[in-house]
Amino acid sequence: MRVVHYINQFFAGIGGEDKASTPPASREGAVGPGRKLAAALAAEGHELVATVYCGDDYAASAPSAATEILALASEAGAELLVAGPAFGSGRYGIACARVAAAASAAGIPALAAMDPSNPGLPEVAPAIAVNSGEAARHMGDALTKMASAAAVLARGGTPGEAEGVISGAPAGARRNTVSPRTAAERAVLLALSRLAGGKQTEIKLPDFGHVAPAAPIADPREALVAILTEGALVPSGNPDRLESARAKHWFRYPLTGRDTMAAGEFQSVHGGFSTVVANADPNRLLPLDVAREMEVSGEIKALYPEYLVTAGNGTAVADATHFGVEWAAELRRAGVQAAILTAT
Amino acid sequence: MAPTPPPRPRPEGGLGVLRRVIHRVTAAGFGDATELRAGTLTASRPELEALTADPALASVRLSWVSPGDSARIVKVLDAVEPRSKGPRGGAFPGFVSPARIQGRGETHVLRGAAVVAAGFLPRAQEAVVEMSGPAAELSPLGLTHNLVVEFEPAEGAAWENVDAALRRGMLRVAARLADAAAGGAPDEVEELSTPGPRSGQGPLPRIGAITNLQTQGAFKDVFFYGRSLAGSPPVVIDACEIEDGAIVSGQYGHPALRNPTYIHQNNPVVSALRAADSETLEFAGLILSPEPVDQGAKELTAAHTARLCAALGWDGAIITKEGGGNADSDNSLKMDALEEIGILGVGLFSEMSGPDGTAPPLVSPPSTATAMVSTGNYDERLQLPAVERAYGAERCALLDVEASAAMEVPTAVIVAALSPLGWGRLTASGADMVSA
Amino acid sequence: MNLVPIAARVGAPRIVPTRGIPFPAGDPSLDLGAERAWRRRLLETALVAVSTEVHKPTVFDPALVPAVPARAASAAST
Repeated sequence: MRVVHYINQFFAGIGGEDKASTPPASREGAVGPGRKLAAALAAEGHELVATVYCGDDYAASAPSAATEILALASEAGAELLVAGPAFGSGRYGIACARVAAAASAAGIPALAAMDPSNPGLPEVAPAIAVNSGEAARHMGDALTKMASAAAVLARGGTPGEAEGVISGAPAGARRNTVSPRTAAERAVLLALSRLAGGKQTEIKLPDFGHVAPAAPIADPREALVAILTEGALVPSGNPDRLESARAKHWFRYPLTGRDTMAAGEFQSVHGGFSTVVANADPNRLLPLDVAREMEVSGEIKALYPEYLVTAGNGTAVADATHFGVEWAAELRRAGVQAAILTAT
Repeated sequence: MAPTPPPRPRPEGGLGVLRRVIHRVTAAGFGDATELRAGTLTASRPELEALTADPALASVRLSWVSPGDSARIVKVLDAVEPRSKGPRGGAFPGFVSPARIQGRGETHVLRGAAVVAAGFLPRAQEAVVEMSGPAAELSPLGLTHNLVVEFEPAEGAAWENVDAALRRGMLRVAARLADAAAGGAPDEVEELSTPGPRSGQGPLPRIGAITNLQTQGAFKDVFFYGRSLAGSPPVVIDACEIEDGAIVSGQYGHPALRNPTYIHQNNPVVSALRAADSETLEFAGLILSPEPVDQGAKELTAAHTARLCAALGWDGAIITKEGGGNADSDNSLKMDALEEIGILGVGLFSEMSGPDGTAPPLVSPPSTATAMVSTGNYDERLQLPAVERAYGAERCALLDVEASAAMEVPTAVIVAALSPLGWGRLTASGADMVSA
Repeated sequence: MNLVPIAARVGAPRIVPTRGIPFPAGDPSLDLGAERAWRRRLLETALVAVSTEVHKPTVFDPALVPAVPARAASAAST
């Protein structure tokens, strides 16, 4: 089969974060890590005919990105599409998932490779996802898995655990059971075994991973600054029906022509706190009045003309991470240097 | 030169010995006199109603419900195990008796019975006890013969006064019931004491209990000798004091995470430590601490507690809380403060993993300490069958259905189902949470 | 409930503590002028925070952080 490989701007050798807004483009044959992939595919009798690449910010935030990338892949004659490996990179993972999903929906068998913790994983259906491990040092192994899974797809089969397939469903659930011992008795046993050097616990905590802080901005007076909120502040009437809890959506609304968040024009639909105080003066949730003052006085260069909003009430961690990745991609593409998020 | 005087016998550090005189209750009902005969507890309705009389209460209605009855109690408030100290008195200091330190001598216990208040109070969260069906065993009160005390507030009475009157009435009734048994032959007698800091030179690890008490003001407070611990630093007590009702609950928040007086009287962590005492560990004692509301005070209280444990030579502590996510911090901060000075802290936590068990389990886990016991998932759903009788109210406010109707509820609603003091056997297990 | 430790635990690198969950950029106990001044204080602190290098979750306390970003790095508490 003719295989097209999707990678990001970094692996395509275009550049780093500075090139994250690069629009989609295509090259003949394999590029970067694609070369090893091409060799592995050739061993299975498949040809890597083209590589489509795109900047991560563009791919994760432009609504048309997946369509554009798929169009380039189709032009190159794709009969099968493989995307990544994205490892733990959020924007890259989201992009790979969307591209693979779009291809699959268009009838082209497709897979995306990423780490199980990648925020893109839930978006990969109806394509499949292959476990790449979480860092680039796993590259060789990831490419091997991608080639194996691609070969199975090409035969019309369903890749499985042997090919490293991972599912976008939640990792599993905590369920109540009845223990033969009371919690107090188990606490005593746990204390004794810990004092003897054991490491057990009945509750293991999620590992949120490491967030690398962004470098500081040189001077706010030169900065385009965005204000954002998870306080569910929306135009009165909630026209887009933002959820009050367990939100699966986020929205953007314009701030042009406003120098304050007017009571009566906006409301909070957050279900986690009493919204009376915020609705009486929505600047308490989204500080537009002061932000606009700072723009006028020159303390900041400019205020981003939209605000992004979701409801941070019982939001699934995976969704919150996903939103954050999308917000970052969108704001960065728009040239925003700093963002201020109010949390409730 | 004068000979050295013989060493003065030092007290062990505790108050001495408490004899727990246990009388088992196997049946309960009303009759002409309040007495316990061959396991059957009879109560005189007029006598007990008189004990609850107070200007803040217009009326009180007493009923018995027993395990296995097709019955449910809703709007459960506090529950108390009938206990008294016989003729010399002293039980429930600060309420029924003068506020004097207790914890020695004889304490009569009616095991298998409880006095349970039920009805509306502000800030009280809808709390349910099932007397039959699969959810009955999730609460200690599903297993006891309960004297249910329902009430009507007097017109114009302040709710705080209604609450206080109800509490005093319940405790008087509880003491009176136990007094009725005091003359008879007991089923079992246990001797309890608490060793002091210097007793025991052996190799066994010294492990104590730290009990956090909620201190959030009206209807969310817990009393120690009749007074709130709010604003107080943590305090070392003799573990025997709790046997006599030194701790009384006035806290009506999260039902599954509530520690009613009944469980304080039977502190499961203290019991488990006593059971292992001199075999695998040395029971090192009991510290009580408030659960302050603000972060700064929580951190300071945790530091004070760690200092106390160090001064007492503890090797480890089992830490319990009362309440939901806010109270998790009190456990977590103490675990971390102990870890910092090389003392092991084991914390008991319930999980808030959502109805499908996939949300992160804890809002405020410890940062460095890791030894945690799970008392179950708060959000998991339970199916409760319809019952013949319901006490406490006509309707279940949570779901706006008749209180006796069949209903689906979160485990959160059953009193002490996720007992932060470790009474229960519910635990959550399954997938460990992976990263976001 | 205090959200700052939660923000730190999930790795938010720059955190400004506010006065209440229902009003993160406000304080209804203040009169209008004072509340707006408090809101300004919060945003000034936020600008200092984004202008300061950090390596791990760092709390920028509005009570401690001066208005001028360039000199504010030492006022951040880690």
